[in-house]
Amino acid sequence: MSAIVLDGISLTLSSAAGPVAILSGVTLSVEQGETVALLGPSGSGKSSLLMVAAGLERPTAGRAVVAGTDITNLGEDALARFRRDAIGIVFQSFHLIPTMTALENVAVPLELAGAADAFAHARAELEAVGLGARLEHYPGQLSGGEQQRVALARAIAPRPKVLFADEPTGNLDGQTGAEIADLLFALHARDRTTLFLVTHEEALARRCGRIVRLKDGRIVADERTR
Amino acid sequence: MNALALAARLARRELRSGLSGFRIFFACLVLGVTAIAGVCSLADALLTGLATQGQVLLGGDVAVGIVHRTATGDERAFLARYGRTSETVSMRGMAYALKNGAEAERQLIELKAVDGAYPLYGNVQLSPNAKLATALACNTNECGAVAEQSLLDHLHVARGALLRVGSQDFRIAGVLTNEPDRLSGGFSLGPHVIISDDGLKRTGLVMLGSLIEYSYRVALPAGASIPAFKRAAADAYPDAGWQISDRDNAAPGIRSFVEQVTMFLTLVGLTALAVGGVGAGQAVGAFLDRKRSEIATLKALGAEGGTIFLMFFLQVMTIAVAAVALGLVLGALLPFGVEALYGAEIPAPAKYAVYGGPLLLAAVFGLFSAAAFAIPPLARAREIAPASLFRDIVAPSNARGRLPYLALAAGAAAIVIALALFISPSVVFAAYFLGGVAGGLIVLNLFALGLRWTLRRLPRPKSSTFRLALANLTRPGAATSSVVVALGLGLTLLAAVMLLDGTVAAQVKDDLPGTAPTFFFVDIQPDETDAFDRTVARFHPSDYKRSPMIRGRITALNKIAAKDAKVDQSARWALSGDRGITYAATPPKGTDITAGKWWAANYTGPTLISFDGELAEGLHLKLGDTITLNVLGREITGTIANLRDVDFSNGQQNFVLILSPGLIDKAPHDFLASVRVPPREEETMYRAITDKFPNVSTVRVKDAIAQVNGLLQELSDGVRAASLVTILAGLFVLAGAIASGSRARLYDSTVLKVLGATRARIASIYAIEYGLIGALTGLLALGAGTCAAWAVTHYVFDVRLLFDAGAALATVIGGAIVTLLFGLIGSWTALSARPAGLLRGP
Repeated sequence: MSAIVLDGISLTLSSAAGPVAILSGVTLSVEQGETVALLGPSGSGKSSLLMVAAGLERPTAGRAVVAGTDITNLGEDALARFRRDAIGIVFQSFHLIPTMTALENVAVPLELAGAADAFAHARAELEAVGLGARLEHYPGQLSGGEQQRVALARAIAPRPKVLFADEPTGNLDGQTGAEIADLLFALHARDRTTLFLVTHEEALARRCGRIVRLKDGRIVADERTR
Repeated sequence: MNALALAARLARRELRSGLSGFRIFFACLVLGVTAIAGVCSLADALLTGLATQGQVLLGGDVAVGIVHRTATGDERAFLARYGRTSETVSMRGMAYALKNGAEAERQLIELKAVDGAYPLYGNVQLSPNAKLATALACNTNECGAVAEQSLLDHLHVARGALLRVGSQDFRIAGVLTNEPDRLSGGFSLGPHVIISDDGLKRTGLVMLGSLIEYSYRVALPAGASIPAFKRAAADAYPDAGWQISDRDNAAPGIRSFVEQVTMFLTLVGLTALAVGGVGAGQAVGAFLDRKRSEIATLKALGAEGGTIFLMFFLQVMTIAVAAVALGLVLGALLPFGVEALYGAEIPAPAKYAVYGGPLLLAAVFGLFSAAAFAIPPLARAREIAPASLFRDIVAPSNARGRLPYLALAAGAAAIVIALALFISPSVVFAAYFLGGVAGGLIVLNLFALGLRWTLRRLPRPKSSTFRLALANLTRPGAATSSVVVALGLGLTLLAAVMLLDGTVAAQVKDDLPGTAPTFFFVDIQPDETDAFDRTVARFHPSDYKRSPMIRGRITALNKIAAKDAKVDQSARWALSGDRGITYAATPPKGTDITAGKWWAANYTGPTLISFDGELAEGLHLKLGDTITLNVLGREITGTIANLRDVDFSNGQQNFVLILSPGLIDKAPHDFLASVRVPPREEETMYRAITDKFPNVSTVRVKDAIAQVNGLLQELSDGVRAASLVTILAGLFVLAGAIASGSRARLYDSTVLKVLGATRARIASIYAIEYGLIGALTGLLALGAGTCAAWAVTHYVFDVRLLFDAGAALATVIGGAIVTLLFGLIGSWTALSARPAGLLRGP
């Protein structure tokens, strides 16, 4: 069963200099439990494709079905509910909420979903990523690696069907980046979540089962690594 | 409920970041709420004081006023059936200080004769302490009198001195320090003097036709019904010309004054809230801008737009509630502060307490204003796309916010406006004022837009300093709009107040003395007229006019009772209380007939009336309509034969009603005269008339003008102080706008310093930028203020607006200096920062 079906996706954005074509007719299918790396140079459209697949951006043309939901024409609030219930996202810049503790940050998506045991669940997730002793710390009191662990715990806590990660190690040093990548794949292995990873690091991409290469908004290669 | 609970939980976490972005929002709200709560609490203290002291202020539970005549035996018996009664007689007269038995200095006085029962309520206080009856007692030659200290000062005499009033000598037995029913007496032209009824009889001043007001106060037994008394009085004496007042509205003039001033000050408070609201909206917008990333993150995690809106709305309203609470506390304390500082100077009785009504009102105004101004930026924040986490160029899908949210903001604003109109004693005035404020905000915003548009298209100045200063005014995120709006509304109000103040003061101080007579003479007896005319003729009089005068009340218009007649609000005054009436065979000099014609000189038929044309419009009267007057207890009905243009603004002798002779001239009456003499003859004429005609009350017009001018001055000081509240709100917003740009300033100045600009050069750029925007805002405010002042002078006062260059300069230069100061202070950090600090990075 396909976890992600992107069919003829195009994305054109307006800018001061006029419309800019970001994606041009991208078609891609990702199976449930698969790990896919989206690889390409800066400006190739990797993050934009992730945004469309994660329901953060509406395509200009084409159709997107993710976790069994056709999200192409969903309204803004319906998209929010879709993200809440079906997917998790890890950002390059972590995007933790600075006024909330690590525990509260992880609990937010669970609270938004109305989970009764949001905090107990969040605590367990933080312990699973090795931050059991940092529950009440604010993001400003955590290192970059710790912040990304919190972000990972937050993304995985609602048990999403698809986990999107946008350059999850991009803001971290080599050692810490490697630890985060290990953790990311460990969590994938634990939950059998579909992993959709955007990166420009060949080595990280190689850890995925499949690499899709993008250039100028088009897929130029789609290869299996094993 | 779950969504609300979740939003509240998230909001509580968000509030941990502190309130630093909300200082201006908080300060503006506190200021506006304090102003409204304070003003309304003070008004309630005064109105409650007036209401609870009604018996004392009126001198009874009910009071029956009669002009020219005493009550008949029947009338007295009727009043006595309802309770204890007291009679007072009020008139104006001349008091002469006696030095060595001769009349020396003299002064117009407000004379009140009282009987033994006075006062029925409250106490007369004398210095030194004495019983009133003892102080006023008469012996064979002289009677006692008590007078206000100002009379003793005017006449340069001390307690114990002898005064002559009419033909009777009075010894000043004490200084009057409290006259309980003074406020119900109306406007005073001279110091108050109280004598006994016996003493009044001995003065010889009580003559038929003299302008004397008799008041009969009744102390009703507990539980007696005032309406029942009024009904019985109307049934028993329908045509007696009784003017009945009661304790529930003992001082209607003061009550109405307090209500009007309260309305004005409340509207000024609302203007402060509106100015502050603009700043609050900007502050909320700036705060949410800093939260873009968090909002986008929450949305990426699955938060719906409604949750985001609710979460930030709750935060803003939590801060608003705290600000309103502080404003209410300060507002509730304000009356006590006024009592401590000015309690002795406030002439009306006030009951200082914490009143719930005004606080509730201020709270509603504060919270709904906060909501009205905060919702639009919150609605925009709701639309922040989660994709903005990835890139900044994404245009918001709906930058203005969705319609339901904007409707919600409009609804909150509508509640504030509706409430302001509802509580206002004059809906029309309040509507014009609020319309003016809304129009002002729109004009200021348009001006700011136009200014930026124009500046962008101006040819580049050669001077780089000027060029950079102009560029600062037009670049994205410039404080131009904020400064114009923040300062503009307050300055507009101040300019309008200053121009109005200058015009009215000039009218009273300069124009009026140019046209007004030097003296008015009241109560010239018919047998004195020839001698009086001869005395006046010894000088060099101009505009000498002597007219018969009698007081009477309009009781019906076209046979419809005055109280039931449908008339314009602006003309209602003519039907309440007594009016001066005269008669004439031929049109008095200067009469300007606008409709109909004057009666024949020898006409003695049924009464015809020459009436004030403008007032006729307000009373919906035309030629051929009838007016019924009650004069000395008799009804006289006359037909309107012509309408005249009557101008009271020049201070000259004028009458709303001139009747044809034949009937009215048979009623006992006396004469009113006015004259203008050269200044060098003023004093000698004053002495000549007062020497020869001690029964005639001589009103020196310049004294009356000085008194009116003093009152106006106090009023305008108050109004100006009130408009400063709006200015203060504007300054808060200005400071906020400048502070919000400080980071950009720091960056600019660092780059300029790196490129070799000195601090003086950078300071000049800022000085030109802020000085220019301040001066231009001042100029706009002057224009808008002039329009507002012109509208008030033209439509309300009916005088020509005097353009005061001082006020104009104060507005423009004041605007420039204030903006310059705030701007330079706000840019101080940027000026003094060392470039290396910023370049090195955090």
